[in-house]
This record gives sequence, structure tokens and C-alpha cells, in this order.
Amino acid sequence: MDARHDLIERSVAPDASWIRPDIFSDEALYRLEQERIFGRCWLLLGHESQLPEPGSFFRTHMGEEPVLVTRTLEGEVRAFLNVCRHRGAQLCHEDRGVAKSFNCRYHGWAYACDGKLLAAPGEKQLYYGELDREEWGLIRVAQVESYKGLVFGNFDPDAPPLADYLGNMAWYLDILLDRRAGGTELLGVQRWRIPANWKIVAENHVGDEYHVGFTHGSQLTRPIESRAAPAPLAREIRPELGHGIGVDIIPEDLSPGERGGFDEEVNEYLRSIAGEMTERLGEMRPRLFPIHGLVFPTLGMVPILNSIRVIHPKGPNEIELWSYCMVDRDAPKRVKEILVQRSVSAFGPAGSFEQDDSANWTGVTRNTAGHQARKHRLNLSMGLGHEGEVDGLRGEVGLTASDINQRGFYLRWVQEMTGGQA
Amino acid sequence: MTLVDAQLLADLHFWYAREARLLDERRYDLWLETVDDAIRYQVPTRYLTAQADITDFGAWTVDRELAQASDVLLIDDDHAGISKRIERLQSGMAWAEMPPSITRRIVSNIEPGEAQEDGGIEVFSALLAFKSRGPDERSFLTAQRRDLLLPADGDFRLRRRLVIIDDTVLMGENLSIVL
Ligand code: FES
Ligand SMILES: [Fe+2]
Repeated sequence: MDARHDLIERSVAPDASWIRPDIFSDEALYRLEQERIFGRCWLLLGHESQLPEPGSFFRTHMGEEPVLVTRTLEGEVRAFLNVCRHRGAQLCHEDRGVAKSFNCRYHGWAYACDGKLLAAPGEKQLYYGELDREEWGLIRVAQVESYKGLVFGNFDPDAPPLADYLGNMAWYLDILLDRRAGGTELLGVQRWRIPANWKIVAENHVGDEYHVGFTHGSQLTRPIESRAAPAPLAREIRPELGHGIGVDIIPEDLSPGERGGFDEEVNEYLRSIAGEMTERLGEMRPRLFPIHGLVFPTLGMVPILNSIRVIHPKGPNEIELWSYCMVDRDAPKRVKEILVQRSVSAFGPAGSFEQDDSANWTGVTRNTAGHQARKHRLNLSMGLGHEGEVDGLRGEVGLTASDINQRGFYLRWVQEMTGGQA
Repeated sequence: MTLVDAQLLADLHFWYAREARLLDERRYDLWLETVDDAIRYQVPTRYLTAQADITDFGAWTVDRELAQASDVLLIDDDHAGISKRIERLQSGMAWAEMPPSITRRIVSNIEPGEAQEDGGIEVFSALLAFKSRGPDERSFLTAQRRDLLLPADGDFRLRRRLVIIDDTVLMGENLSIVL
């Protein structure tokens, strides 16, 4: 095996009870991630609600690649590299909008919103009518699929379908995406750069319940108790290796979907949809309140505050975080407003929670990069060997705060980086 | 254009200089006294947007680049929200501001706008905000402030503030200071 393979294997313990800091800073590993992780995994592009009409488009990224997502005039969602086929200029420069076609500003090649090359200036006289338009359309993202409103893309034409990729995670995502007939909508986006490696951010979303009591001490009403013994706020569930979700169990005295501490208007709304939720999801799932989670590799979720985010890597030492609010599309306007305002007050660059998160991620990235610090392993052993199964839940479960999902995340990383062999 | 009352301009310059100093000196208690109970303090998200009807300069405005009504902002605080923001800084556990950022706010281009019905004055200004927590954590941002000030007992109170940051992607690692 090559040196890179060695580096991958020595970065993560066989049981993922530890990792080495190289994983956060090594340039060669980062380059390989672009190929093996961001080139092969399903990545969130956005939500169908962001493409309300034919010709709607928005820009995003898949890994480091600039991507243009469109709704064609026939209503289909497509994604392309945002790169002109002629000489590689950036095709679309706006963040979002509606357009019938996209004109490259370098030499004027024009593309339809389904990616076809419509025209090139001088096709007859300068190209002698020999330019094959079929061949020179935009480069399509090999696969684009939606899961109940969320739109994902995959550069690998041979990747398994999205439903297989999500596996049991879909069953939990349904608590958010499928609890109402009208589905959800995505609002936003807040975008900001954080000088941190993408994996420390991803692992925080996938399973780090442990940090809540301390990092977010400024926001907790009983910080001292939480600091002494992190209460099992949530069960850490590992539906599939790499994906993770933390859920709170809603006590019997509350209605399904409800939660103490919410505005009365919101709880009133949640009570009003309890029947619909139960009808759609059964008895068990409406009693689970998703707190945080991750769809491997970079779709982070903080459903307790309606936040959905994509961690875009920008080199080993930097990310651009894109954070959206997700709400039930048919919720009353006032409820949406309350939820969005709550979300923004806690999450995003100015959020009372996330400010302190980003300070941690930056510190990890910066302070583990040195020659000495890199020699020493970091601990992921919490709850190792104490995972279990819970009747009615899908996947493995950590019964208290546990590193179960961070271990799953890094094991999945090894799996993907070594080409699918565990 | 209309000529401006020199005394008003002088009063505004003084008010903004003092406000910037109070924030830079972290005198949040004194700063909060300048804030009206009905304050709305907002920082919108901003997008690169087509200016397709470029011939119509009336439509070619900054506002088109800003978050629309139902969209997500970066900050959307009322008085309770902003008070919590300040309390947080003083909680001893706001790690992003422990130790606190060293800041400097430069406010210029102060331009009184329309007088409002309730006697308030709309004021535009430009903000340059710097913060540092040592050489690894330094950032600058510039923004337009659109404020509504209410004259009160020979002073002003801040009733509304819209901070339009001159970036679509925020470059500091967070927005941990009051703008
Ligand atoms: S690079 Fe786009 S038209 Fe030449
Ligand atoms: Fe956090």
C-alpha cells in the first residue's frame, strides 16, 4: 500500500478510540478527501423550495467544486460544474435568481438551464459549423436526487442510490422532513468562513453532546450541574456508520413533537399537528425530538433550533459554513417567524451558541498542527463498548452522551478514503 | 440636496463618537442606556444579485441584495435579544469573547436622512470595525449603518439599527461584537 494509505490507517485507531491530529492538517489527506469523499459521497445541494419556478437557480459547492443548481423549463432539478466548457471561465456569478439561459462573459457561449450549449458566437463563420453542441454542454453532476425536499448530488456515476446511502438515517430524517403532508422549506443562507478543518466541525454535529454543558455554559440555566455531570440530554444514535443523530425522548406529559421551553405559540402549533405526525410517522417517532445530527460527510443538522448546514471545505485549515433554517412549509407565518428568530439568536456567526463552537473548532485546527502536537493521539473513547440497541429504534445506540457517532464518523472516513474497504 | 443643520450634525458626530468609545471600552451598561426599549437591531444576510434592469437605476439598489422578508438574517434582536447578547458577554462563559476582543469602531460618513413622523431622525453612517484576539484572530469588516435615532432630553436614543455588512460571506470567524 502507498504512503497515503499508511497515513490514513495510522490516523484512526481500528476501533476509533483515538485519532491522530494529522487528520486535521495534512495537505495530502485533504487532497485525497476531495477525490474519495467529496467525489464519491452524496452531498447536500439545497432544497426544492429554493427552486420555486422553471429557470430558478442557485450556486453552491460540492467539496471545493463550484456548482450551479437549476430547475429546467421542464421542472427537473439539475446540477452542473459552474465552469464554461469553452475555456473554463466561471459561468454564473450570482448567488441565486431566475434565468432562461446562462451566458459566459468571456467569449459569450450560452447554455440553457438544462445545461445544453445553445449557441456560440461565430458558430458558422469561425467554427465553420463544425462545433458539436451536444458534446460541449455543461458538465453534469453525475447523479442528482431528492429526498423529501432535500436535493443531493453525487459526482460518482457508480455511487449507490441516495436511499441506500442514507439507509436507516432516512427513517430519522423523516421526523423532520415527512411529519407534515406539505413537507418543509429552507430559508437563508448565512455564510461565513471559519479557519477550521471540516472534520472537527462535522464530528461536532454528528455526536458531540458532551460539549454542550461546558462550551454552551453561557446559555444554560443550570450550567454548574451540567458541567459536573453531563446529563443524558439525548440518546446518540448511529443509524449507519458515518451518519448520526442525537434525540431527546419527549416525556408522556407532553404531546408528540412538543418540547419544554418553547414559546407557547410554537407548542400550540406542535400540539395541533400531533395527530398528523402520528398518522404519518407512527407512535414511536413523534416521541423522538432530534437535537443534532449529520449525514456523512458534511450535512450538519441542529433540528432543535431548525438549523440545517453544509460544511464546505476550503483547504485543510478553513471551511465556509452555510447555515439555513428549515421549517414546515405549512406552518403559520407567525410560527415560522418565531422559529427563525430563535434559530438566528442561537446559530450562525452571531449566534449565542455557535460563536463559542467556532472558537473551539478554530483552536483545535490551529493548535494541533505543530510537529509536537501531531505526535500525540486524541481521545474518542467515551462509551466505547457500551453501545446497545433499543427496542423500536434503528441502528446502534449510545445510551448516554457517547463518542459512538464520532467513532462512526472517523471509521466511515477511513472506509471511504481507502476505497470502500473497511 | 438640502442643507443640514450644523448643530444637528455636530450633535450626531458627538453621539456616534461616544457610542463607538463606549463599545470599544466595553461599557455595555452605559451603552444600553442609549438604546430604546423598542429597539430593533438587525444584520441581514446579503447575496450577489443580478442587476438585469440596469437601465433602471431606481431599481438598482443595495436593498435587492439583502435578505427578503421571510429570509434568515445574521442578527435579529429586540431589546430582550440585545440585552441577552450583552449578558452573555458578561457571563464568564462566552468563550469566543474570553479574553475579550480588542476592538476599534470607526464611524464616519454621518449623514442625516429624512426626519420621521414621530420626531426621529434617520441617520446613515459608515462603520469600520476591527477586532483582535492576538495575531491568529484578527478581522476587519465594513458596513453601512442605517439608524433611527429618537431625540430625548438633549440626547438621542437608538430606536432602530440596520447593519448592512459589505460582504456576502462573512470573513471573521464569528460576529461576537456589537456592530
Ligand atoms: S470561456 Fe466561456 S465562452 Fe470562452
Ligand atoms: Fe455546540
